[in-house]
Amino acid sequence: MKKLLFLVLFIVGIWLAVGYFVDTKGLANKGKFDSIIINFDNDLPTADISQELAIVSQSTKQNPSLNSIFSIDQHIYTVKGDKSLLHKLRTSPIKKYTEYIEPNYIYSALETANDPDYSKQWNFRSINVEKAWDNNHGEGITVAVIDTGVSRVPDLRDTDFVEGYDFVNDRLDASDDNGHGTHVAGTIAQSTNNNYGVAGIAYRAKIMPLKVLSAGGGGTVADIAEAIRFAADHGASVVNLSLGGGGESTVLKEAIDYAYSKGVAIVAAAGNENQNSASYPGRYPKVISVAALDATGNKAPYSNFGARVDISAPGGSEQGKEGKILQETLDPTTKKPVLVGFQGTSMAAPHVAGTVALIQSSQLQVAKQEAAKNPNAKIKAEDLKATEVSSPAEILDILKQSSRKVQDDSFNYYGAGQLNAGEAVTLAVQGKLSFKDFFRWLRDNGYLNPIFWFDGGAIAVLPKILMIVGSYLLAFLLRVYVPLQWGAPLNWGLIFGSSGLFFLQGFYIFDLPQWPFRIMGSSFPELGNSVQGSHLLNPFFASVLIPLGFLLLLLGNRSGKSFAVGITLGVASYLTVSAVFNPHLWLLGAGTVSQVFLGVNALFCIFLAWLATKGEQRLV
Amino acid sequence: MTITAIGKIEKKGFGFGVWALVSEDGKTYELQNPPPELCQSHAKVKIEGTIQEGVMTLAMIGPVLDLESYEILS
Repeated sequence: MKKLLFLVLFIVGIWLAVGYFVDTKGLANKGKFDSIIINFDNDLPTADISQELAIVSQSTKQNPSLNSIFSIDQHIYTVKGDKSLLHKLRTSPIKKYTEYIEPNYIYSALETANDPDYSKQWNFRSINVEKAWDNNHGEGITVAVIDTGVSRVPDLRDTDFVEGYDFVNDRLDASDDNGHGTHVAGTIAQSTNNNYGVAGIAYRAKIMPLKVLSAGGGGTVADIAEAIRFAADHGASVVNLSLGGGGESTVLKEAIDYAYSKGVAIVAAAGNENQNSASYPGRYPKVISVAALDATGNKAPYSNFGARVDISAPGGSEQGKEGKILQETLDPTTKKPVLVGFQGTSMAAPHVAGTVALIQSSQLQVAKQEAAKNPNAKIKAEDLKATEVSSPAEILDILKQSSRKVQDDSFNYYGAGQLNAGEAVTLAVQGKLSFKDFFRWLRDNGYLNPIFWFDGGAIAVLPKILMIVGSYLLAFLLRVYVPLQWGAPLNWGLIFGSSGLFFLQGFYIFDLPQWPFRIMGSSFPELGNSVQGSHLLNPFFASVLIPLGFLLLLLGNRSGKSFAVGITLGVASYLTVSAVFNPHLWLLGAGTVSQVFLGVNALFCIFLAWLATKGEQRLV
Repeated sequence: MTITAIGKIEKKGFGFGVWALVSEDGKTYELQNPPPELCQSHAKVKIEGTIQEGVMTLAMIGPVLDLESYEILS
């Protein structure tokens, strides 16, 4: 009876799963169509086909046509029609004379750009920008570029500008005398599809040029803070800060808080010192801090990493041919426009700022459509602003969730992952956001503290939980056969042997090395690889050797022995879970050999624990 | 904060390039408005300057040094 019940449940489960696939991911989700394909049986005589076509013509009030001259032999015809006609035809008597009747799906190529040097913009393909362009191009969004100013080089002539300000020389004209700001603005909104130069990410967004850095490339925190407030007060919904350095500054922090409270998303470069911790202003809690990737998708050699890195984006590198970020800017020595490759987290940040503009534009579009449908809406659709329909916290969440995750990112080179503009816009349109786990909560609240930071992405939580549960399960089973000294030493042993204080692995204190936390957050089998931040287990540590050592050392002490038994069972659980989920060992590689090694050692550990406690039984 | 450092002068490839002192202990300082004589590579230079805590730059390569004096050693 039980078997029959299981069989029924199994079949229902399979049926539901297949049904869900067909409804959501399968046929129903393939795309749009406005015509229907009718493929008559190949052996149907021509006279019969003509007769059936006449019936189709009568019922659809249109003449079916051959798809092309090559369709004659295949008997493939098309008729204009939608879902209801498709259903009608499929349930009509014609069906039995056909091989199939199906929608003639319309496939469209992704939007691209006609700018002649667009092919050299590897960085745009790596962030999947063409998929995002299918939705919008940054319409309705203003991006403040707080930098060395922005000059209207030829490839920015079709880009809309709003009034900015030069805080260095205190004047309205915020032209660039360095070349950096114009390059950054180019990544965000270089004029695109103008048959000239290169493309920009959100090329229909407006640029607000705010000059805070002098021709020499430096500027004061006071000017930068004023520029941020100016941007927030003059309609910008995104601020790009491709600058950094210096120490903590109250005036700057307050300006960031002010802009954030007005719904402005602030993006900053993580810095180019190749150090653990983003530099200011990327380090401030309410800033989206961006690390740089090279053309291969790896960490760029100069990029800061670790504490307070939210996400990574292409920043380019001078190593490798054409590995830099290409945009048009102004050469400060010749004063002429030049198409030039730059590198830096300065280049990575505007990739994110441009993507934020695309996200906000899609959200604004949706909000406007909804407001237009609702006659009782408080704000008219045309009066809606990006800062009213999307919050910076939501933007950050979309960026992180949509990013390409990087496995084994022990040093947090990549933050939540690599920027994916296409997926970010898709996610923004779907509006499906959820807070997944406790660790994200902890990480976000960690921002409140300027001393430490928490990277929730550093830990795969499920295996760790399995390891703890598994170790307690082993202890419970062993207790059936031999008496265990249940108490604090055994508990600590089980924890340190199986999962360790794993939440510490994602803990950072700014400017301090992170490896002590990786060690403190490691279980005993992980100690061999945690210093160097590798995920490859060291076979000398991930074996029965450490439990054996502990047992030999602590056998004479009652509490010590209990601790050692806990470690032995914890390690057994760790090795078992690793054998199943991640059998990857240094020297032995990934696969069966490592799996067998881990499994055998897990069995040795269980045997050892049994042996040790069995001895105790005799003593008692 | 005033410091004295000995190291080499290098051009770092951020933007159109910035001049930096890479000290003998491996620390990189960005030179703020360096004189023309320091806008070229030198193997050994002694520099005295003040670290500018309130200055941010496009290069972001390390503390910004406002020069008070310098001596080209080789």
